[in-house]
Order: sequence, then structure tokens, then C-alpha cells
Amino acid sequence: MEGQAIIDLEELYQQAPCGYFSLSPSGNIIKINQTLLGWLGYELNELHGKKFSGLLSKGGQMHFEMFFWPMAAVNRGVRELSYEVLKKDGVILPVLLNASAKLDEANRLLAINVVLTDITERKTFEKELLLSKKTSEREQKRLQFMADLVPEIIWTATPDGYVDYVNARFCQYFDCNGQDTRVSFIMSKVHPDDRRALSRDWRESLISGESFEKRIRLIDKAGIYEWHLLKAALFLDEEGNLTNWFGSCANINEHVQDMKKKDEFINIASHELKTPITSLKALLQLLDRMKGDLTNKMAPGLIEKSNRNVNRISELVTDLLSASQFNDGQLRLNKTEVNLAELIGDYVHHIRIDQKYEIITEGEGVTVIADEGRIEQVLSNLITNAIKYAPESNVIRIRLTRTLEFALVEIIDEGPGITPEKLPHLFDRYYQVSNTGSLYSGLGLGLYICAEIIKKHRGEIGAKSVLGEGSTFWFTLPFNPSIARRQS
Amino acid sequence: MSSTLVMESIIKRNNVKVIGNGDQVILFAHGFGCDQNAWKFVINAFTDDYKVVLFDYTGSGRSDILQYNAVKYSKLDGYTQDILDICEALELKDIVFVGHSVSSIIGILAAIQHPKYFSKLVLIGPSPRYLNAENYTGGFEQQDLEGLFEFMESNYLGWSSAMAPVIIGNSDRPELGEFLTSSFCSTNPDVARDFARVTFMSDNRADLSKLTVSSLTLQCSDDILAPLTVGEYVHLHTPGNKFVQLAATGHCPHISEPEETISAIRSYIQQN
Repeated sequence: MEGQAIIDLEELYQQAPCGYFSLSPSGNIIKINQTLLGWLGYELNELHGKKFSGLLSKGGQMHFEMFFWPMAAVNRGVRELSYEVLKKDGVILPVLLNASAKLDEANRLLAINVVLTDITERKTFEKELLLSKKTSEREQKRLQFMADLVPEIIWTATPDGYVDYVNARFCQYFDCNGQDTRVSFIMSKVHPDDRRALSRDWRESLISGESFEKRIRLIDKAGIYEWHLLKAALFLDEEGNLTNWFGSCANINEHVQDMKKKDEFINIASHELKTPITSLKALLQLLDRMKGDLTNKMAPGLIEKSNRNVNRISELVTDLLSASQFNDGQLRLNKTEVNLAELIGDYVHHIRIDQKYEIITEGEGVTVIADEGRIEQVLSNLITNAIKYAPESNVIRIRLTRTLEFALVEIIDEGPGITPEKLPHLFDRYYQVSNTGSLYSGLGLGLYICAEIIKKHRGEIGAKSVLGEGSTFWFTLPFNPSIARRQS
Repeated sequence: MSSTLVMESIIKRNNVKVIGNGDQVILFAHGFGCDQNAWKFVINAFTDDYKVVLFDYTGSGRSDILQYNAVKYSKLDGYTQDILDICEALELKDIVFVGHSVSSIIGILAAIQHPKYFSKLVLIGPSPRYLNAENYTGGFEQQDLEGLFEFMESNYLGWSSAMAPVIIGNSDRPELGEFLTSSFCSTNPDVARDFARVTFMSDNRADLSKLTVSSLTLQCSDDILAPLTVGEYVHLHTPGNKFVQLAATGHCPHISEPEETISAIRSYIQQN
């Protein structure tokens, strides 16, 4: 009862925080509240009896006549139609319109009561919302672009492990479309030997939520398995909820292969070093038994053999040191004027003494600026190789040629030759021409060291070979290193 | 002769309803934006004496939306075919055709193609062309129509159904679809947009003179969509056309003033 005294219905209608008006069956305004008149800036007599649709734009009027009116009458009401009403001063008032139809007992339309809500602020929010939606879509596209650009495979998975996104790289690598993300499909791309461990570890991570890291082999579209580092981490949102697993798959095949080669190399190097050390140990034991009696007739021979083994060890260690120096970029050249013909002559003279080979040197005297010791190392390696790998070759030819820009040195043997597929790898580190290592011993570092030395001199090095006819190893040294490295 | 199967498929496609007791058939054709429910205030007045046929155009109301073909219905001819299909399927002859708004033009086109189906046409708020042209006032400029199309785009069935999907994204929301089928005037938005374009971009002025069936123009007072001058144009250029101006205002006299509309239709039908 008290409420009735405070709440006056007429006042509530007139001063309500929303616009009220009623329309006759012909669409004329028969009642309108003060709130709405205030919003629109009209006096009561200016709108009473007038058509409400007259306050709308022409498009709005058409919509009002063809949608609002039939809907309001037939459905007995309309919910949340958004219109723009023109105020008296011409400014647009965005409103939401709700209406209900009042019918008589015979179901004839008597009036339509309408509530208008001012949604000016809401429209602003809508615009902001749309804007931020666009921004986030743009952001998503940017991320997508980035994800597709990186050379790694990128993926996301639901917290329970279903892959729900893959980048373009995934599709390229496996030659599939982005929909092929079923676990069975992905597992079919994993090397059979890696599958069980992968499934096990992945399941464990799914349960624990711990980051995941594993090396696996994945088969590419050409059917070749390559090593990949698979990494995944669970992304938690600001509230700490699980959202997604984010994962990547980096191709580490080259790295893994390098590591393997390195392991193999260490193995070879150990064996190579062990042989002379074992000999040396035996020789020292023999010498030890002589109790310092160096007059023993066997002594000089033993010492001579010991020396040879020590030299061998020394050579191997020098090679290892050189290789690691190149690796660290520490190779320093001590450049002087070097007469190549003389250098070759001296070196050849030195090996001619104890070899049965005929070594022919051809060509004129050429002087270059180079590190004499290092160039000698190159010559030594190439000539030793020729002797070692072409044992049936009786003649080894060393040809020195001078061009305008560089000096060309060729070491030509008449050995068995090298197969074409092996030629490109000769100068790789840890590469040995033959795996039948028992026949030829060595670290396989020689040609790599040569290549590094020649590169450091800004020259070029290479090899050509015809099976059954022989091989030619060549290198060039430019006269002017600053403009070098553009010869054939 | 139409087979039962064809008849059934047409009845299903256009949600055809036949009610009433007379021999004379009245076919009511709803206008753009609505469905057969628009006639709910007038049909009861006719069912005692006439056989009343109601339907929804393909794509509208409870028609079979799957049979909507955007190419076919990009012209009024597609909708004309709906009328002719129904006449053929029900084996109708000499019917009274009552068409509202764009349907009055569709009725004229159907009657030009197959006059034998029709005895009389009642045209409620007809307009052969909505756009103004040289020596012709349709009532609208291109920009007005663009305004309507834009309005429909953003506000077809109200704020929540228009804005929400835009903001939230076009996710699958079956409840929206349910709302569409359960609500009057709730044609699929794409169909409604196409229908609006074909309605308001058509120019059928040249067809009026080809009509051989007699007709009545029911002109509303103060109808923004079909102003008096347009009704007069139709009357002037259509042979055998009678003209009645209603006191009813707006574009939907059958909704706002059903009694006046009923009596105007009835007296025209009963005339010889």
C-alpha cells in the first residue's frame, strides 16, 4: 500500500528510463511518453497523430512497413529491432525497438505498444567490439603467416592430446592437407623404431603437463626419414587454465648426421693413434730390457723405428690440431713470397729419395704470396694421397701453370680413379673415400685441411677423375687475393 | 496432367494449404518479407464460401529451403513459376488470385503466361517499378534501396540475431536456425536479401499492357512503398483494371484494416 503512494503509474510511464509510444492500426502515434519526446526534442503536439515511420530513414521506413508491421501484428510482438530514429535536430538516435500488439476478442489489431531503448553507448561498444575482433583476426593472420614462414613444423594440440592445428610446413613435409592431423596419421609418419617411445613419453607428458622433448625420425613425402627434435609445452592462460599444447618439430637431421660422423671420426682417430703407440710401447719395452746398453746392435734399429712411430703420432696430432684450428677459425697465415716451382722441387726431391715412384714436374716458375709451410702441407697431402690411393700408378705428374690471375697446381695420378658420387664429398671433414679402412689408414682429415688452407688463401681446390684412367687434384693460388675467387 | 508425385512435391516445396468449402478458388500470395501467415486476419472471411489456397514462396516461411535455387529466383520469373506450378499441381482453373505487394506483379506475370488459370487478379499495393525513372515516379532512388539492403544486412531479425553472429563469429548456432523457422517473416537472411533485390530492382512496366485477365488495384492511402501515383500508373497501363482506394494506410491493409480489405476483395469477386 505504501508503494502505491510513492509510485505513480502515470509518472512512471511519462518519466520511465525508456521511450514508450503506441501506434494505431494505421501506424499513427496515439500515445507517447515524455522521456521519448525529450530524447527526440519534439513537443507532444508535433508527434501526436503522426506516423512513427516518418522518423526513420527511407530504408528504415521500408523495413518498418515490410517487416516490423507484419511481424508486430501477426506475431503479436517484435523483439530487439535496431533502428535509427531521427531527432528533430537531425541527429541520429540509435534505438532498440520492442513491441507488443494489442488485439480485441475477435483478434483484430487495436494498437501496437512500443518500447524504445537508447543504445547510443551500446553502438559504440559494438563498434569497439567489431574493431577488436578485426584486430584479433588480423593478429591471428599475422601469427599464421609467421607460423607458415618458419622452417620448422609447428602445431598445437588440445590438452588431451588431439592435434588441432598444423602450419604449412607440416603439409609440405608430409604432402597432406591441414586436416590430416589424426594421431594415427601422424604416427604413421614416425619411424617404427621411435613410435613406442614417443607414444609413451607423450602420454606421460599429457598426464603430468610437463614440457616434452624427443628426438624422432619422420618420413618425408619422398619416403626419407630425417631426424627431428620434437618439443611441446602446455600453454596456460592468465587464469592458469590449460588451453593448448604448443609444439614444434625442428629438422636436426644434419646435426645428428654430423654428430654421428664425429663419433665415427673419434673412433678412427683413436685407432689411428693407438697403432703407433702400441708399437712404440713394444719398442720401448725392448729397449728397456737392454738396460741402457745402447751398444747393443739392435738398438739403432729400435730407436729408428721408435722415431718413425713418434713421427706418425706427431703427424696425426698435427692434423687434429689443424682441423680443430680451422674449426675455430684460428688459422693464421704467415705469408711470404713463395716460389712454387722451387717449393715443389724441394718437396719432390725429399720424397723421391725413398720412393719408387716417378714424379714428373712440369711448368714454369711462379711466385705467389702465401704461407709456405701451409702450402707445403697441401702439396704433401695431395702427393701422399696420390701415392697412397693410386699405388699402381707409376707416374705422378705435378703440373704448374700460370694464368693472368692465379697459379694452378695439378697433381695427376694414373690410379683407379674415384667414382663420380664420391667426388663432391672429398673435401668434407671426416670423409674417407673408402670404407674398407684397413687398406688405407689415416684420419681422412687431409683433404679437408687442404681445402681450408687454400680457401684461406682465397684460392680454389678441386678434383676430377675418370674411373680406370686416374685422378687430378688441383688447387689455385691467386696473385692478388683481394680480387680473387672468380676463376673457373 | 500432373502426377501425384509432382503434386506432392510442389505441395511440400511451397507449404501449400487448401482450406474452405466453395468451388471458386482464391489463391492468396504473400508479399516480400512475409509468408502465408500474413493473411491470417482475412482468410476466415472467405473460407465459408470459397476454397482458399495458401502457400509460401520457395525460400520463404516454411517452404523447403533446400529447393531454393539462387539463380532461378534471381528473377521474378522464378517466383512466377512457383504460382504456375501450384496451379498445375492442384489442377486449378479460373481462380481468383490475390497478391500483396510484389506478388501482385508476380500474379500479372503468371496470368500473362497462362491466362486460363486465372479469372480475376486482386493487386494489393502493386508497383511495377520502385526506382524513379525518366517520366516515372516509383518513389525510390538507388540510395534509398541501398539503405534498405544495408539495413536488412545488419538488422534482419533484430539485434541479437544480426549482431551476435557478427561479433561472436559465424559459429554453428543451431538455436538461431530454430528461431528462424519458428518465427513469422523469418526467411533465411540470404534468401531475404536476394528476394529484396529482385523485388526492388525489377522493372515490369512493359508487362502491364500484356495482361488479358481482368484485375483490381487496391490502393492504400499513405503507402510509402506503393504511392498513389504508382497505383494510378498501374490502373492506367493495365487493360481491364479497376481501381479502389482504401482508407487503410500503410503497405499492409490486410493486416492493419482487414475488414475494409475483405469487403473490397469480396465485392470485386462478386461482380460479374
